[in-house]
Amino acid sequence: MVIYLKSGGKLREKLKPNIDDYTRKVDVEPGLSLKEILKRLEIPNQYIAFAYVDGRFKRLDYYPEEGQVITLQPPVSGG
Amino acid sequence: MYGFAGQMVRINLKTKEITKSPLPEDLAKEWLGARGMVAKILYDEVPRDADPLGPENKLIVAPGVLTGTFTAAGSKCGFGAISPATNGHADASVGGHLGPEIKFAGYDLIIFDDISPEPVYLFIENEKIELRSAKDTWGKGSIDCERQLKDELGEDFEIATIGPAGENGIVFSCITHDFGRNAGRCGVGAVMGSKKVKAIAVKGTKTFPIYDLKSHTEQTEAIIQRTKPHPNMAPWQKYGTALFVGWSNDQGAFPAKNFQSSYYEDWPKIDGEKLVEECVVTDKACFGCWMNCGKYSKAKTKHGDIFIEGPEYETIALIGGSCAMTSIHDVTYANYLCDNLGVDTISGGSVVAFAMECFEKGIITKDDLEGRELNWGSIDDFEYLLTKIAYKEGIGKVLAKGTKGAAEELGKDSIKFAMQQKGLESSGYESRWAPSMLLSFMTSDIGAHHNRSWSITVDLELGRDEIKEKAPVVVYLQHIRPLYDMISICRLFWGELDINPEEYVESLNYVTGWNTTEEGLMRISEKVWNLTRAHYIQRNGGPGRNHDIPPARYYEEEIPNGPAKGKKLTIDQVNMMLDEYYAARGWDKKGNPSAEILQDLGLDHVVEDLKKIGQLGESLPNGIPKTRGYKLKPRAM
Repeated sequence: MVIYLKSGGKLREKLKPNIDDYTRKVDVEPGLSLKEILKRLEIPNQYIAFAYVDGRFKRLDYYPEEGQVITLQPPVSGG
Repeated sequence: MYGFAGQMVRINLKTKEITKSPLPEDLAKEWLGARGMVAKILYDEVPRDADPLGPENKLIVAPGVLTGTFTAAGSKCGFGAISPATNGHADASVGGHLGPEIKFAGYDLIIFDDISPEPVYLFIENEKIELRSAKDTWGKGSIDCERQLKDELGEDFEIATIGPAGENGIVFSCITHDFGRNAGRCGVGAVMGSKKVKAIAVKGTKTFPIYDLKSHTEQTEAIIQRTKPHPNMAPWQKYGTALFVGWSNDQGAFPAKNFQSSYYEDWPKIDGEKLVEECVVTDKACFGCWMNCGKYSKAKTKHGDIFIEGPEYETIALIGGSCAMTSIHDVTYANYLCDNLGVDTISGGSVVAFAMECFEKGIITKDDLEGRELNWGSIDDFEYLLTKIAYKEGIGKVLAKGTKGAAEELGKDSIKFAMQQKGLESSGYESRWAPSMLLSFMTSDIGAHHNRSWSITVDLELGRDEIKEKAPVVVYLQHIRPLYDMISICRLFWGELDINPEEYVESLNYVTGWNTTEEGLMRISEKVWNLTRAHYIQRNGGPGRNHDIPPARYYEEEIPNGPAKGKKLTIDQVNMMLDEYYAARGWDKKGNPSAEILQDLGLDHVVEDLKKIGQLGESLPNGIPKTRGYKLKPRAM
């Protein structure tokens, strides 16, 4: 199953984009949570505040679907 | 002079004398603006024994060099004064449209001196500057006052106001603009109120010169095109800062019940997703911003619906988590109450949470509360206390002094859980398992404020339990983050959309025609930091280390639950971090700046000032570090 992970900021350095400046194409087996996928990619999940999929907030226990674009949002200091 | 309106104005409120003069070029070049100019003027002009709420203090309004330009989110307006909360240098900034409008009217600095004999507001329309009677607005809420002035003067006037809290000298009063944006911290609203200035209303239709307008606009256009598809843009636009509640809680860093814990199990009821689902009406943006992270919200209350901008992360942390609220409508309403009464939401939330813990511990009783109880999470109790505070009635007279002042009066060891530093209540990050974040709060020049250095990511990178080698990174952050306040742009584009410091330098040079560098700007920021430190010591006594020890809760109590369960620091660890920090800054072990560092930064006169009071730091055995602070890679924000 192919999904596309996107990130900017300091998280991009850990994501290692391979499609464009922000995007990494990943081939993963179906049925894995985002947290499990990130673990396999050796991206520590404490650097990710949340995921953003189809205009909606998602926690890391979310199960991605084929072809989805998943934005990983790094933490920031709030105003 | 390029990049500046080129003019400053001094207003003597007692004599009503208004004096315009050219902005000195060396003041602009050496201190940049906003926080920088504020630091210089307060140090030079305010007597060390001046009462922060007396006639000798000044209120300075200072947009900066990039305010009102095409640089990304060049929206900021600085306010400065000696703080009634900390008795030290204070600067606070607000976004929106006020700062640009002041520059478009032709001014880079407005300095209020002395005290008006009656309530007034400042009216500016280009060259026309007047002090007008505020008898019709004095006593009104900040939001209500802004509405009234816009109705009277026109929607195209930009307004800054204070509420009853500012009028009554509550030490954590804010200055409010644009129906819910605030220069929130350090009690600048109380200083404005002490001077009997209810509001500033400004309309400007002029422009100011840009050195290389073509390059300036081309650079910004390129940045706009580059950042529009940035992955962080869409989530920011939808949720703003409020969506980081869950992450903060996951990290064991979210304040719960006055920082008793760092984990709040009801967080999903008050986070950004809940805010967007139930309250957000529309997005708002500041001048020159295409991110629109401001959220204009509606809350259902027992008094009917109210509208307010917010709540942002910090408000949710200090009112939602720290007061243990379980409804986003209640948090939003509390945000409105703070804004309209003119209270900083961070300090206001923290003071109410402190009072709730005092009640829990029997330090405040029903006898102090007209027979009522205080219950965690109660919006009615929040409203009761905040109103008492704003009008200095009953227990509100004590709490109006902030957590530090109130704890000193209430006694019974309540100072141990007065969650502040130097008198300024802590922003929303519980730091017993985030040592560098705690160090950032401990050593901040204005008190425990996240915008001086936000370093939880440093703790993530270098280890949550590790205390060594973090201090130099905190020093670096304490220089770069306040630099954005000095050039007066919103730092979110730097932190979230990958605009590099080098690009801001380039932009600054296009605007001013200067040939400055990032290194040069960081050196100015370091100079300001050392000046505000020396100023604080001169006003509050030394040694500096005495003011940097955090509340005992951080080193005496373990976190009771959540991801950080069992964590706390020891006082030895706290002192070790300070040792490393002072060494990294070129200060002595007492936390006092040494002659060598002050001279290196061109602050020779400060050497003499500290020497006179016996607080000049001793020379370091190996001299001062060649560079102070360094950047962590990967980049911390």
